[in-house]
Amino acid sequence: MSDRGLQDLVLRALADAPFRASREWRDRELADAGRLERFARFLARHFYYERIVHFFKYSRSLAAVTRRRPEAVLRSAGFDALLATAVLGSRETARAVAGTVVRHVQAPTPAPPIPYLSDLLRYEQAMMIAEAGPRVWRETGKGEGERGKGAPPELVEGTVLLELAFDLPTVLPRLLEPWTEVPQAPERRVKLLIARSPHGRVTVARADAAVASVVELADGRKTLADLARQAGLRAADLEAALASLADLGAVRFATGS
Amino acid sequence: MSAIWVGAFYNPHLGADLARATGIDHLAMADPPAPSDPHWPAIKQRYTLLLHDYLGQLSEPLDERSIARARALAELYGTPWVAEHFQCLHTEDGRYNINYVFPPLYTEEFLRRFVANAKALQARLDQPLVMENIPGFFDVKASQLPEPVWLRRFFDETAAGFLLDLPHVWLEAHYRGVNPAAWLAEFPLEQVVELHVAGVAQDEDLQGPWIAPTEPTEVMLDFMALAVSRCPRARAVTFDAFSPSLTADVLLRSVERIRRAL
Repeated sequence: MSDRGLQDLVLRALADAPFRASREWRDRELADAGRLERFARFLARHFYYERIVHFFKYSRSLAAVTRRRPEAVLRSAGFDALLATAVLGSRETARAVAGTVVRHVQAPTPAPPIPYLSDLLRYEQAMMIAEAGPRVWRETGKGEGERGKGAPPELVEGTVLLELAFDLPTVLPRLLEPWTEVPQAPERRVKLLIARSPHGRVTVARADAAVASVVELADGRKTLADLARQAGLRAADLEAALASLADLGAVRFATGS
Repeated sequence: MSAIWVGAFYNPHLGADLARATGIDHLAMADPPAPSDPHWPAIKQRYTLLLHDYLGQLSEPLDERSIARARALAELYGTPWVAEHFQCLHTEDGRYNINYVFPPLYTEEFLRRFVANAKALQARLDQPLVMENIPGFFDVKASQLPEPVWLRRFFDETAAGFLLDLPHVWLEAHYRGVNPAAWLAEFPLEQVVELHVAGVAQDEDLQGPWIAPTEPTEVMLDFMALAVSRCPRARAVTFDAFSPSLTADVLLRSVERIRRAL
């Protein structure tokens, strides 16, 4: 094995708790097991601190009302329990950690001051989960993400269509500014599309009816004609919806190979 | 000694304080300024800015996108040098990423990789490249060379500058059970262009000290004074703290104490 391959094993051992516990890793005796475990736990707390502070920044700004800072879960028994199975960056672990945050912030908070709190936490949770997963760190020149002409579109893993009862985009910027009374969001149903680029950048956009239909129908098998028919869209509207979805990293085009 | 700049990292949540602070010569930029940052114009106008972002890991060649980003940031800041780290923190296939600085194996293969990729990056930059040492909390048995020897060979082959992170050296000495000054003497100090100084605090997971957004101790400041006296080309000392939990008081007092200790 190359030195680069060995380095990857060490990185995996630090990131992947089940691998760290496996015979495959332990038999190599590449590092002191106790020290590696301590460093892995340190890394896990750091890894999710950065993500919780970033993705839950809006509910963090409401801590004066909720009396719950999202990142406090990192020193909870619930988070410690996750460490034995955590795989840093995986969608499963992101889902588990985000779920712990949501339960922590939501539990003691009465609804009246922040009627949209549940929607807000769902939104932040979805963003954190969407960001997880393998990413492209370097362009390899293999044309990642290129659009195959006429190929059936499919949803990129992690893309989410979120239906909310409150119009959150109108209130989010105000939550990060100084406020004395909790900024309110209009009670109005909205659909938000959350997508992640191959480089791990998460984007959110309002989804109109055409975009929502395409997201619900694109499975990598339906042709453009199938999609247009089932979604009730004209070809031009379907093209426009697909173009905006591709820009966000929400769909890719199946190549069949 | 008075010719050495003393500065800190730009922490956007402290933008208002930094925009009117005195006694700070430069700010290192770990992230690009947010488009909505109201203090950025004043910061850019007022300070010498050092590019200290994540550009990529030099175990692999930087791709065109990363190089273009590095060049754009260097131009935006007007940076006198571009900093990167001796780090390898994600797997080649992108599946695992520890999101924290982590050193490569100190082997001949990694030395070849870092030298080749650093030279390729140098050829595309308009500013000198400096590289920062990264602490190891544990040794990996596959390493072949002592870290200071590996670093010296890297600097000799690339002519890059050395960004000496002193708490990293101090922590390694602590966890190896060796005298920090003796461990420091092993490093190629004649190549140092910039030094980082920071606080350390007890970490529950590590069961020992680690870098923290706190003031440097007197011991660390004495260590810094010793190091600077042995780094004839040093041009800047930076208080290395970049965290949402950092307060303006800690930043400003740390810079002041660093200046007094030099």
